[in-house]
Amino acid sequence: MMNHLTRRTLMKGLAATGLAGTLGSRLALAADEPLGITLVLPSPVGDVGWGHALAAGLEPVKAAYGDKVKVTVLENIQEGPDADRIMNKTVADGNKFLIAGSFGYQNGALQIARRDPSVTVLHASGFQVAPNFSPFAAKYFQGTYLLGMAAAALSKTGKLGSVSAFAIPELITSVNAFTLGAQAVNPDIEVSVVWVNSWFDPAKEQEAAKALIAQKCDVIFSNAQDTPSVIAACEEAGVYAFNLNSSMKKYAPKTYLGCVATDWSPFFKASVDAHLAGTFKGANTFLGVADKVVEVVDWNPDIPADTMTKIKELEAKIADGSFSPFTGPIAKADGSEGVAGGATLTDAEIVAMDWHVKGVASPLPK
Amino acid sequence: MTAPTTAFLPTLVRRERASLLAALIAPPVALAVATALNLALYVLMGRDPVAVVHAMLLEPFLSWASFSEVLLKAGPLLLIAQGLAIGFRAKVFNIGAEGQFILGAIFASSIPVWFPQATGQWIWPLMLLLGAIGGALWASITAFWRVRLNASEILVSLMLSLVATQLLNYLLLGPWKDPAGFNFPQSVMFQYDAMVPMLFAGTRVNVSLILTIVLSLAAWVFMQKSFTGYKLQVGGLAPRAAGYAGFSEGRAIWLSLLIGGFAAGLAGAAEVAGPLGQLQRSISTGYGYAAIIVAYLGGLHPLGIIASAMVMAVLYIGGDNAMVSANLPIAAVRVFQGSLLLAYLVAVAFVRYRLEWPRAAHRSPS
Repeated sequence: MMNHLTRRTLMKGLAATGLAGTLGSRLALAADEPLGITLVLPSPVGDVGWGHALAAGLEPVKAAYGDKVKVTVLENIQEGPDADRIMNKTVADGNKFLIAGSFGYQNGALQIARRDPSVTVLHASGFQVAPNFSPFAAKYFQGTYLLGMAAAALSKTGKLGSVSAFAIPELITSVNAFTLGAQAVNPDIEVSVVWVNSWFDPAKEQEAAKALIAQKCDVIFSNAQDTPSVIAACEEAGVYAFNLNSSMKKYAPKTYLGCVATDWSPFFKASVDAHLAGTFKGANTFLGVADKVVEVVDWNPDIPADTMTKIKELEAKIADGSFSPFTGPIAKADGSEGVAGGATLTDAEIVAMDWHVKGVASPLPK
Repeated sequence: MTAPTTAFLPTLVRRERASLLAALIAPPVALAVATALNLALYVLMGRDPVAVVHAMLLEPFLSWASFSEVLLKAGPLLLIAQGLAIGFRAKVFNIGAEGQFILGAIFASSIPVWFPQATGQWIWPLMLLLGAIGGALWASITAFWRVRLNASEILVSLMLSLVATQLLNYLLLGPWKDPAGFNFPQSVMFQYDAMVPMLFAGTRVNVSLILTIVLSLAAWVFMQKSFTGYKLQVGGLAPRAAGYAGFSEGRAIWLSLLIGGFAAGLAGAAEVAGPLGQLQRSISTGYGYAAIIVAYLGGLHPLGIIASAMVMAVLYIGGDNAMVSANLPIAAVRVFQGSLLLAYLVAVAFVRYRLEWPRAAHRSPS
């Protein structure tokens, strides 16, 4: 017992001196110590997709700050208690800037932000805000509207399809805008949606794409799928396809319609700047074409020239704010009024959208 | 005697008697061999083996916060493995603990999902009880078909795990979805009284750990001291002898599966009412399968399993650490687990068998 006590006291003493030592050196080195930035992702970084786009968004930050930042990317982290522990661990290791790359990390990441005000957290697709905790999302709908126009111009059957991850507002709006864009060219167009309830499931996505093609859909929208399987299946079937986040043209050299690409670097860079200057303020961040975060790239040359001209006109209008895809009158899928004539949905209304527009044939999972 | 093609290969010969010492050192030897092989792999991958060993095998013990996470992780592994081991000794191979774990989580969650406003200290104990019942009910399906139709319990229980996952998906995408959760597949956050009380302040270790240890001791008493436990073991070792002695095989199957399901269900309940606080799709990171490794690594002995559950938990936590601080991919941890089981199976084979080289065979008269 005595021995035990002495040992414990000794350990405590050691810990205390160790702590004092670390604290002292930390204070002294604070200016030189690099800022630890950790990106946590639910799927592999891979060559394409969501995780890839987020990781790529950190490259300009690295380039700008050099050895003043240290970036760690943790991929394949399943949402749940393990993710909480891993995020805690990386913050305990001294990384003060955390990018939680999936909605499911919300509770754990928010707890970290609340416990330690010196940590800045950026959280993908969430809705909670704290002084040092910003949820962020992309206005994919601005790009999918434009691709909807291209899709309707190319479609022979008048049926479009979408393989979609989760029926959350972010992805509901991207399907809705896709449908509205298509209707702007062909008012009778119909969109079928398959919700696969996964961000990353190559087999399921491919199956869903094939099912849509079998139902005569001849343009497919791979909505927030992190694998190129939908795109590859469409190339094989000779059907146009497009996706979000990063270009997958190499998987479908002929039938790739385009990509609603996201470039997170302006947002990441600005957030890191603010963190280092001590001016970071948590806010719900919803970024689009005007912020240079969303941009449609790799347009397919098959798109008719007159459609392309219209698309480019609208793109400019979206960028300067004079056009929004969600301007009424818009009817809901059940026939009731979604947006009154002349009215435009606000950002707050868009991030809470839980209904499909008329023309989306598949019901929303309830 | 030996065929010419295999003349240069040694053959396995059963030992006259397996020594207790060999049986006892087999697990540590397996652990050492697996560690050495995996370290070699990390070196080949270009990682610093010292950093990996430090993060993986030392860091879990270096701070109370880390060690408490080991205890948290060991809880469900220990509980499930104890239940499974009883069945394995009776040669009833319940491979579906994962499904029973999920059903336990679902049953336990029914209270906070249906009565989110309920308060009182009766809630969490009732949830644990319901979870255990849920797991046992799920296992009883397997027991029924095994006894009735002699259907392989390995296949039935394994397939039922996939069904359990789908049931969980259905509930989370449908009736049990959090109405304020923006369509994400997860339940409401549980109320305070639906959470198992904490055992150590500042950690995530809760009272269910005590329950787990008590049940481990109960498992020891049951298997080593009780007549029912004896009957089960005889049924496993010598089914015919058990039959002649009048020990019912059907009863052994029912008992084995119910105990396994009860323990796994309890573990599932403790997980949702513990670190998760919510029913979500990623409630299990494969505890049900990892527990099979734990059970065998512990020699199917209740006390051995306590040790092997700790080893496995250290590997999990250490693996996460190594990922965060030594840049090791998460797949490396799974490779470690798999190679550990493989090394153990080989080691156990050598406890029971010895190698006989062809030269010795030539010398023997033929």
